[in-house]
Amino acid sequence: MGYSITQWLFGILSFLAIMFALMVVFTRNPINSVLYLVMTFFCIAGHYLLLNAQFLAVVHIVVYAGAIMVLFLFVIMLMNLNQDTEPQKTLMTKLIAGLIGGVFLAVLVGTLKGAEQLSFSQTGASQIGMVKNLGIVLFKDFLFPFEIASVLLLGALVGAIMLGKKEIK
Amino acid sequence: MINTIPIHYYIFLSAILFIIGAVGVMARRNAIIIFMCIELMLNAVNLLLAAFATLHNDSSGQIFVFFIMAVAAAEVAVGLAILSMIYRNIKSIDVDLLSRLKE
Amino acid sequence: MKALFIISGLGILAMLAEIFKFKRALYPLVLIGILAALVANFTEFNNNESIQAFNNMIRFDNVALAFSSVILITAFLWFILANDYFTNETSLTDHFSLVLFALTGALMLTAFSNMTTLFLGIEILSIPLYVLAASKKNDVKSNEAGFKYLIMGSFASAFLLFGIALIYGATGTFDLLAIRAKISEGMPLFFYAGIIMMLIAMCFKVSAAPFHFWAPDVYHGSPTVIMALMSTVVKTAAFVAFMRLFLVGFGSATSVWAMAMAGIIALSLIISNMTAAAQSSVKRMLAYSSISHAAFMLMGILAVNPIYSMRAILYYALAYSVATIGGFTVLYRVEKQSGNTYDDFNGLAKRNPFAALGMLICMLSLAGIPVTAGFFAKYFIFTALIGSTYKWLLVLAVIMSCVGVYYYIKVIIAMYFKKPTHQEPLLIEKSHTLLLAIAVVLVLVLGLLPNFVLSV
Repeated sequence: MGYSITQWLFGILSFLAIMFALMVVFTRNPINSVLYLVMTFFCIAGHYLLLNAQFLAVVHIVVYAGAIMVLFLFVIMLMNLNQDTEPQKTLMTKLIAGLIGGVFLAVLVGTLKGAEQLSFSQTGASQIGMVKNLGIVLFKDFLFPFEIASVLLLGALVGAIMLGKKEIK
Repeated sequence: MINTIPIHYYIFLSAILFIIGAVGVMARRNAIIIFMCIELMLNAVNLLLAAFATLHNDSSGQIFVFFIMAVAAAEVAVGLAILSMIYRNIKSIDVDLLSRLKE
Repeated sequence: MKALFIISGLGILAMLAEIFKFKRALYPLVLIGILAALVANFTEFNNNESIQAFNNMIRFDNVALAFSSVILITAFLWFILANDYFTNETSLTDHFSLVLFALTGALMLTAFSNMTTLFLGIEILSIPLYVLAASKKNDVKSNEAGFKYLIMGSFASAFLLFGIALIYGATGTFDLLAIRAKISEGMPLFFYAGIIMMLIAMCFKVSAAPFHFWAPDVYHGSPTVIMALMSTVVKTAAFVAFMRLFLVGFGSATSVWAMAMAGIIALSLIISNMTAAAQSSVKRMLAYSSISHAAFMLMGILAVNPIYSMRAILYYALAYSVATIGGFTVLYRVEKQSGNTYDDFNGLAKRNPFAALGMLICMLSLAGIPVTAGFFAKYFIFTALIGSTYKWLLVLAVIMSCVGVYYYIKVIIAMYFKKPTHQEPLLIEKSHTLLLAIAVVLVLVLGLLPNFVLSV
């Protein structure tokens, strides 16, 4: 039995996402790290498209690649940090970090037993990712979190400005 | 498009991405890269939520992703503000220099 | 429900004060607003109107109202403590609005009944606090405290979210009550992995060992007033969230998390008390002792007793917050005069007898000496736990309380039996004297009439 296009795409995108994610961690130059992270985000956006969540994919690109990573680049450029002179952590710390990560992954994979029985409930294209459906759910069921998120953004805004501005005498 | 990918592949993929991010947070010293690794962890969660939303045919998983994005943006804004303030004071963003609190 | 709107409205009002130039009126306005929110809480009591507002995203039931009242009372006392901190700041209105926004998050955490509101509540509480911890701009220590808090907070949030995602995957819902109903149907293994990840994340947030390593540094580096806020309001809010999540949400899956939690409690008790005893700075000692108090409150959750657990934690949170605010009032003045080591407290009884007396009573309460509120707080926690299978924890807790008595008594000995290193008397403002008096009276009243709170 051959693989379908979706399966091919899933495999390629997953491989690329993991590769780029590893590059984010292992590159020494922060600018390269940012660019690899952007590539990872594009791969994840590809996954969203496979899941038929187009709106999510677009928002993901706009917010992460378009806003957050640009902010990162700005800060790196402003502080002139684009040289790879980062002092390294000791080998011991790295080994321990790797070990913790490995154990953790093993535990998570171990708990996947039983997940195989869960299967996608419908075989046709799912409509939940469409803007119309998302809008209805967001403004009906999730109205309260939506409103209260404004307090969160306001708090972050005030905080960032307060830290950024000079002291007024 | 008919999605025929089993759900545990998605859990597996997100778990790997999440752990790469977590190891990055623990093993790197550059504060900006630590931040990026946290973003990577959040993205792993987003992917998992989107996959589960499709599994259960329920939009609320995708809505949750939007809230995570809002929070991630807010955290990054505050985090980079603090970081630039630290840089102004000690001209470095090496987190191991930040251990002078341990007296 | 109304309290939440009042407090978030006040936060926005504080921002407008800068533009419309009523900065001076802001402080009394905020105090009045918090009192109004308290009154609103009392009118909503036993009146289930606002339950299930907004599609069961948030439920202000009686438990939530009781805890949010505790948080509001503590916040009111904290604002009295912080009055001169605010007047000395250049960006006054920003501080006000940040604290009020954090308070909004704290109120949300008392009443959430959906994973979305839990997550947003935690973030609304945390993000302003990252900024406040770093708010001394020229002080590198304060910057570092903010940065460490931010990294640890976001790292814990990522774990929390992964846990939420796994639980959503297993149950198909974010609603706490729906999850509770589904647990009995039998869940795949990764659901339990999700619970454990949420447990780890919440332990990070309430700074229980072995996830506590960030807390002393962050507390020590932050401005003292902000540390007072973090160890009272924020701690209470995080605990209520912890309690709601594990008693209401995962109450029927205790076999998964109870054992892990018992280990965490034992570790927290030992590490925090041993390190606290070795500190030379009172501020750092209070930071470590707050971890030990976190362990005591966790014991209340571990009891999984629907009635006693909540009452014991409610009483403990109130007793602990009031005594801590009282202690911080004295610490704040002493620190301003000289420093925050034990030596700076030497001979305080001669330099300012009233402050020394207030500190004495607050320390005795924190140590859990009878007649003060702290004793009954510990007593109720123990009675809640005694019916469970974790009786060995009680023995450990009693031993560690004795260690706790040692380092609290050290402050008292310094105040009463040592020669003053600074001769000049310690001056305390009128408002702080009043605050200390309120705290002492509350500690004694709560200690003499412990059933008053429990009858709620």
